[in-house]
Amino acid sequence: MDCQQIRNFSIIAHIDHGKSTLADRLLEGTGAVEKREMKDQLLDDMELERERGITIKARAVAIRHRLDGKTYELNLIDTPGHVDFHYEVSRSLTCCEGALLLVDAFQGVEAQTVANAYAAMENNLTIIPVMNKIDLNHARPVEVAEEVEQALAIPTDEIVKVSAKTGFGIDELLRAIIDHIPAPQGRPEAPLQAMVFDSHYDEYRGAITYVRIMNGTVQRGQKIRFLRGGTVHEVHEIGQFVPGPRPTEQLAAGQVGYLICNIKSLDLVHIGDTVSVPGDLGVEALAGYQEPQRMVYCGLYPSDGQDFEELRDALNKLAINDPSFEFEPETSDALGFGFRCGFLGLLHMEIVQQRLEQESDVDLVQTAPNVTYEVVLKTGEVLQIHKPQEVPDVGDIEEFRHPIAKVSIVVPSEYIGPVMKLCQERRGNQLNTEYLSPLRAMLTYEMPLAEVIYDLHDKLKSASRGYGTMNYEFVAYRPEDLIRLDILVNGNRVDALAIICDRTDADRRGRAVVTKLKKEIERHMFEVAVQAAIGSRVIARETVPALRKNVTAKCYGGDITRKRKLWAKQREGKKRMKSIGQVDIPQKAFMAVLDKGSDKS
Amino acid sequence: MVVATPSVTWNGPRSAYVHIPFCSHHCGYCNFTVIAGRGDLIENYLRALRCELAELKFPRPVDTLFLGGGTPTQLNKNELRSLLELTLTWFPLTEGGEFSVEANPADVETEKIDLLVAWGVNRISLGAQSFQSHKLKTLERDHDAAKIHQAVELASSRIASVSLDLIFGLPNESLTDWSRDLQAALALRPNHLSTYGLTYEKGTHFWSRQQRGQIQQLSEEAEREMFELAINHLTAAGLEHYEISNFARPNHRCRHNEAYWSGAEYYAAGAGASRFVNGLRETNHRSVVNYLRLVLSGKSPVAQREQLAPEDAAREQLVFGLRRLAGVDRNDFHRKTGFTIEALIEAPLDTFLKLGLLEWVQNRLRLTREGLMVSDSLWPAFL
Ligand SMILES: Nc1nc2c(ncn2[C@@H]2O[C@H](COP(=O)(O)OP(=O)(O)O)[C@@H](O)[C@H]2O)c(=O)[nH]1
Ligand code: SF4
Repeated sequence: MDCQQIRNFSIIAHIDHGKSTLADRLLEGTGAVEKREMKDQLLDDMELERERGITIKARAVAIRHRLDGKTYELNLIDTPGHVDFHYEVSRSLTCCEGALLLVDAFQGVEAQTVANAYAAMENNLTIIPVMNKIDLNHARPVEVAEEVEQALAIPTDEIVKVSAKTGFGIDELLRAIIDHIPAPQGRPEAPLQAMVFDSHYDEYRGAITYVRIMNGTVQRGQKIRFLRGGTVHEVHEIGQFVPGPRPTEQLAAGQVGYLICNIKSLDLVHIGDTVSVPGDLGVEALAGYQEPQRMVYCGLYPSDGQDFEELRDALNKLAINDPSFEFEPETSDALGFGFRCGFLGLLHMEIVQQRLEQESDVDLVQTAPNVTYEVVLKTGEVLQIHKPQEVPDVGDIEEFRHPIAKVSIVVPSEYIGPVMKLCQERRGNQLNTEYLSPLRAMLTYEMPLAEVIYDLHDKLKSASRGYGTMNYEFVAYRPEDLIRLDILVNGNRVDALAIICDRTDADRRGRAVVTKLKKEIERHMFEVAVQAAIGSRVIARETVPALRKNVTAKCYGGDITRKRKLWAKQREGKKRMKSIGQVDIPQKAFMAVLDKGSDKS
Repeated sequence: MVVATPSVTWNGPRSAYVHIPFCSHHCGYCNFTVIAGRGDLIENYLRALRCELAELKFPRPVDTLFLGGGTPTQLNKNELRSLLELTLTWFPLTEGGEFSVEANPADVETEKIDLLVAWGVNRISLGAQSFQSHKLKTLERDHDAAKIHQAVELASSRIASVSLDLIFGLPNESLTDWSRDLQAALALRPNHLSTYGLTYEKGTHFWSRQQRGQIQQLSEEAEREMFELAINHLTAAGLEHYEISNFARPNHRCRHNEAYWSGAEYYAAGAGASRFVNGLRETNHRSVVNYLRLVLSGKSPVAQREQLAPEDAAREQLVFGLRRLAGVDRNDFHRKTGFTIEALIEAPLDTFLKLGLLEWVQNRLRLTREGLMVSDSLWPAFL
């Protein structure tokens, strides 16, 4: 295939604007798949992704399309749609020459529309603005076009109007792709240079490596070399997804496809790595990707210590296909042996947890998530802090830094007030307000990441009756007056309940946490004191009073079996709780530290 | 787990229970095996009992016999006579044995009492529950205080041992309400009293009303006060507090129930009835209709069957034994079960002794006053 007939592109959009539907329509319109054999939304194939309506792994599909007597190969490289996976978006974009920027004709420009468009611009991609859902009765094409122009400086007359649902405008869109997106550059006869943009582990085939060939040609049976690790492998199969995998004899410059080399561990395949041939032909490594930044950490513990190895296996399995997830063993006095796990964001954390639950039987205790902090020691050494227990003694700390995020929020103008109030409560520092249209504005803030990840999204939705959308990205670590807040249960410090917070916020957080714990901890046969402390200074205290009386019903012959079963069940329930100095702490309580107290106090 | 594997020798039951599920009305708090307003099934039920008991093959003499319900006194005289005859055929009572029948105060009449006495009934347990009309109304009971008086008077004149059941801890019940009930009960000079805290059991109206927030359970504190009041009042009046919910004048403990608490074996017949024979625990189907269908078509009415391993049996015996205020004798327990108490429950024992919920009095382990209040929270740790 001649480079001139190849177009590589992605679809970028705010969630729900119709990316998956449009992808289906493109495949179908070009005859890549028969309508009847098509499962809806082909690219979103994992069940969980379907449930949540997001795509986690980038994939590429090759579409053959004939136009004006020529056959083109259109490679649609999928990108994930959610904030947490922002870095994966840019990863896919480096393999493309163009992007379809999809905007819902009713919803208009949203926070992720803007973020994704900027990412495409940074990668020097040609953007084709596409307005979807033009079939909707309440579509507002004129206003939305103005928003696009206002927010992104894209002329309104370039916008292609489509309905992914009815198929309206799809042909015109295909023509626009071919006419406007540049053909890839690169010489098929040059030495091989290919970009690994994703990988996936298949139980039967081993590692499946997704590549974009920049220069040269790769053929079945030949040997290849990963530049980073220097490992050499024989290519067993080359192919493209159409959308099912279809083996080919070769892939040449400009093309996108997959390689299978009987690689039994994904550890050898690094995303962002460059593939070449063995020997030194002077091929340069392509600019790789940045390592994904794991911004959220939490502890995952088996509630039954016996399940530790099983949990490790389950985590390993997950990590294989999700390089952005990492974990390492840790121990907690309170929870025993478990793992500290790092995620891109809160949604990513939820997804991993849900998978764990679906794919293994291990009953989990999760500690409250926290962001990564930085501590500069008096010695000048800089530590990354992934959990509160790692915070060194106050005396050793020169500077305590927390991560700051840039948050962009798009809201209808009438909600600007409540949203600004929310952002102020979350220590936001306003950078900018921009009106996308008389009715909608984009607010930009800098805010501690910790304030963003827990529940800002939910709070934004409720402050804007569901209309507000947001996007955030990490900006920098900045010094702040932070402290570690310890929680003590009957005098015992519970390591897994410690939190890092702003000194000025400590009282409120401390009170909120002990109040919440009081509710979560059942009455015991003795009084249970729950305290929040900074160092040795107690700043909040609650008491769970001792149990005073059980109800005592009849207990005769017929009741014996029933009662015994009931008590056995209660005992099992207790076993699943974590016992700290004889106090049984239910699993839910370990999330209590997220309780921030009233936002209005 | 405990290493030793002692063998238990079961001696065969010396007690029997027969369940009569009929009631005129199904009270909102009740989760016993009960069928209301189906007097038409009584005849078949007696037939079924006859079949079930015939499986015993030969009569089993017992020292205690208990006809419970439901309401055995729902049966008319003829039916009652057949029941008594049938029961005693299969479970002849040994000399000096205890024969208890549960009765609803509303049903107690001279002829029925005479009939019971004629067949050797020497203990009657009356479901009084309360003497106050508002409590009885909440409980949906069909008698009043006057009826209880008559029933007790009549029963006392003919039956050696009369017991009353009382319920406390109703929604909105005050300590005064409860105190009045205790006084009214004591005034009748019963030989035995059982006091139960109201429970909200799954499957009852009370439970669903509580779930929906239509009724509110009394606070722990209030319930504790009531329980303590009962203990103080009744013991002051000369009754012995011998089991968590039970009080008796000297020589009037319920021997049948004591058999349960001491881990002894017992026979049982009827819908929902449980037996424990040779370490095997069996419970019949609770649905009366199913029970009838099965037995009358020659099938076994057993719904659940469970063979207790010696260690489980020992743990169970300890738990139920500790419900008795006398507690459990260390040596007796070892002799009967082959396990020592310490080996069986080492860690929780230590904790509960330290917390002052259990105590050793010479060789007996028993609940303290505080332990009595929260005993249900101790047991899970023992099993
Ligand atoms: N009316 C209408 N609905 C559409 C159109 N395209 C997508 N949708 C609907 O919009 C919702 C989100 O679409 P989806 O493709 O899942 O969005 P994604 O999250 O961007 O992948 C779904 O309910 C689609 O059926 C369209 O052109 N017209
Ligand atoms: S009379 Fe007794 S057994 Fe019958 S329904 Fe009422 S409480 Fe239950």
